[in-house]
Amino acid sequence: MWVARRIVVALILVWIVASVVFLAIRLVPGDPAELMLSQGGVSPDAAVVAELREQLGLDRPVWDQYWANLRGLLVGDLGVSLTDQASVARQVFVRLPRTLELIAAAAILSVGFGIPLGLLAALRRGGWFDRAVMAAAGLSLSVPVFVVGTLMVLLLAQWLSLLPAGGFTPLARDPGRHFAQLLMPALTISSSLGPVLVSMTRASVIDVITRDHVRTARAKGVAPAAIVAHHVLRNALIPVVTVLALHLGTLLGGTVLVEYVFNYPGLSGLLVDSVNARDYPMVQGVVLVISVLFVALNLVMDLIYGMLDPRVRHA
Amino acid sequence: MRRISPVPVAAVGLIGLVALVVPWLGLPDPVTIDVSNRLSPPSWQHWLGQDEVGRDILSRLLWGARSSLTVAILSALIGCAIGTTLGVLGGFLGGVVDLLTIRAADIILCFPPLLLALLVVTLLGPGAATLIPVLGLVFIPGFVRVAYAGVLSVRHQEYVEAQRALGVGPARIMLRTVLPNIGGPVLVQFSLAMAAAVVLESGLSFLGLGVVPPSPSWGLMIGAARQTMAQTVLPLIWPCIALTMTVLAMNALCDAVRAAVDPHGMPPRERRWKLPALLPGLPLGAASSLSVNGLSVAIDTTAGEIRPVRRVSWQVAPSETLAIVGESGSGKSLSGLAVLGLLPPVARAAEGEVHFDGRELLRLDEPALRRLRGGDVAMIFQDPMSSLNPVHRIGRQITEAIRVHRKLSHGAAWREAVALLARVGIPDADRRARSFPHELSGGMRQRAMVAMAIANRPKLLIADEPTTALDVTIQAQVLDLLAELKAENGMGLVFITHSLPVVAEIADRVVVMYAGEVVEQGPVGEIFPRPLHPYTAALLQSAPPEDGSLPKAIPGTVPLPQHFPAGCAFAPRCAMARPECDAAPLPLEQAGPGRQTRCIRWRTLASEPTMQRAEA
Repeated sequence: MWVARRIVVALILVWIVASVVFLAIRLVPGDPAELMLSQGGVSPDAAVVAELREQLGLDRPVWDQYWANLRGLLVGDLGVSLTDQASVARQVFVRLPRTLELIAAAAILSVGFGIPLGLLAALRRGGWFDRAVMAAAGLSLSVPVFVVGTLMVLLLAQWLSLLPAGGFTPLARDPGRHFAQLLMPALTISSSLGPVLVSMTRASVIDVITRDHVRTARAKGVAPAAIVAHHVLRNALIPVVTVLALHLGTLLGGTVLVEYVFNYPGLSGLLVDSVNARDYPMVQGVVLVISVLFVALNLVMDLIYGMLDPRVRHA
Repeated sequence: MRRISPVPVAAVGLIGLVALVVPWLGLPDPVTIDVSNRLSPPSWQHWLGQDEVGRDILSRLLWGARSSLTVAILSALIGCAIGTTLGVLGGFLGGVVDLLTIRAADIILCFPPLLLALLVVTLLGPGAATLIPVLGLVFIPGFVRVAYAGVLSVRHQEYVEAQRALGVGPARIMLRTVLPNIGGPVLVQFSLAMAAAVVLESGLSFLGLGVVPPSPSWGLMIGAARQTMAQTVLPLIWPCIALTMTVLAMNALCDAVRAAVDPHGMPPRERRWKLPALLPGLPLGAASSLSVNGLSVAIDTTAGEIRPVRRVSWQVAPSETLAIVGESGSGKSLSGLAVLGLLPPVARAAEGEVHFDGRELLRLDEPALRRLRGGDVAMIFQDPMSSLNPVHRIGRQITEAIRVHRKLSHGAAWREAVALLARVGIPDADRRARSFPHELSGGMRQRAMVAMAIANRPKLLIADEPTTALDVTIQAQVLDLLAELKAENGMGLVFITHSLPVVAEIADRVVVMYAGEVVEQGPVGEIFPRPLHPYTAALLQSAPPEDGSLPKAIPGTVPLPQHFPAGCAFAPRCAMARPECDAAPLPLEQAGPGRQTRCIRWRTLASEPTMQRAEA
């Protein structure tokens, strides 16, 4: 029941996002077709503009366009690219798994070192370990991802020749190279996600440790390690999951820079290329898919949240 | 609001100053190309060297600060102005406006910020003129939420309601009352937006979608220097350092602003919560009687050490019920927690001894204490909702208590847990064992807590206000249950409470605490009819009398530990106080067999029992 309600809410959000993306192009002052074609202030030829308007269906009434747009979405038709007449949907779904893999790798790395470090820092609150971890997290968070990525290429690829500077190799062709190329971009993303998880976990654990039920567990005579495992960590992870969900969404946007730095042919690279080429249907399609992904991600996180916290299931 | 720490302010101010005065610094033109000297190392004319087309790097760096900060400040201002207005309107007017503004903000939040910016840049084309409104748009939802939450929290406060009742118009209320109250959080949000704008601007420029070349921008500089990084790294390193330092300074400023605005910031120095080594504990003896002698609890604060519990002594024998009574802040709960070493991390037992079964508990190491807790000495707490772990089933929490102390299979422990739940009067115990705490009523939760506490047949049970959070009927049931269990197991019971009717019902002896001290002690049957301390007398009168007459409140409040008076702590609130009461600490005087009082005028009180009633 609770799951069904969450899914309905997510579907409504997807519908709103699709409508907003659709409206964005129509709400911008000026004719979108003309905007797309004008380069460097030169007015485009009127006939070409008219042709593009027809191709995009901009000459039809707005309601017609809107329905056509929604119908297209339902059957997975996101339109046709302006640059090479290829199907937007096909392009997007070639690139999507690569970006998802990158985000998953980054999330695993971040969770893998962020949550243990945050927990240890909280348990050693005020000690040198805590201060060192928090200082490192603060510093890491302050360096923009593209700077981290660029410097990492300089250090690990150019100077030490440990890892390839970028690119992408399909898993089937060469698994070793595939993961070698995945490591640096994933590490780069972790440099911003990891510190968030560290400080969030730390704050959450410190909060939970002082709660009454931890005192109850101590009053029962439960050993500290078991208290941390059963009574602190699980409760403390509930807000951390929320934060992780929020940041994974931001990360979807953040991959734009990382994919660019490492020349990784993911969804975001496609986005930057089509923004530069003013390939409007492609941009619209990619933004839509990423936003839907964002909503889906939040849904998944809500479901995990429900598993962690039984109270949510009944709310 | 406290003062904002000056270091980050100075750092951000310095960067801002450089950005402001850069046109008058006499630097080379940041866009003049000199291809013959491309990628030159630092020289006298060009302190930081020249870039890939021979432009002066230092000049571009400083002009880059100017464009970066301009975009940051303007976009944060736009986001702040629009977002705060929408949030205030939504929160204050409610209804449709609320729905429109808050939902709109939620929808914007559905788009990752960089994506939203990209989408708009596609439509409007790159350039600083696009960047500022785009980033402004990205920041709106944050301000909406902060302002909205702030307004909701002050909207229904009494002073706002009072103004509304006086006929003050909504616009005026908003300006005068609401805006100053949300100022702090909005300021925090503003500093966050500025820091985010610097990162977003450089990122978009790095992609070639922000500031348009040849205008100087750190993002553009990093992007361009990347192409030549195989030849020289200096042009890459400079803007990376400038950008990182700026973001670092701005993040530090955010933290400083937040610390200054947040009233909970800067906690007192806390001791660490250590994971003590696992060592075998001492074997448990047979006899059981708890005696607390001269126990003091100390808390280190920034203003120095305070002692909320001072030289407290009491005893409890097997099968006896001792009630510890006092108002909030009297130190009664802390003294209970100190017995089992369960004090919060800020507090510690500073002096005294606690003897149980021939052992001194305050000197006992953690593993030995752990064997005692939930074993021979169990504890029940005030709020059963927060005292149970919300994410584990009731049965599992009881099973845990059993298996920590006895080697039992999971199944056997579970069966025992169900039997315990049935014993404390929970119907359908088998099913209830599988419930989560939030699925039970308050009374059932406290019964479950009792079941957990008696799981290992303790010799002593310390109950810290176990019925305070419950309504009266449930309270009576839990009290009956405790009395039954006591009779059954012969355990001693320490009952900490502020409720005198409860004491009369359950206790054999009473310890009355005030301002961290024991002020009177004796058998219930003697203290209730004949109190020998004005505070006890006042407490008795403040309980609702059975004849229906109005109870008498005690004027004033318990002093805070940092303001405990030198003499009698109750003197400032006492109708019988004399100058000599304030002079020096008063001793606990013996006033008959088993009775003690910390009042120098107890003889007067004893001889004129009506005097209290008349004067208080």
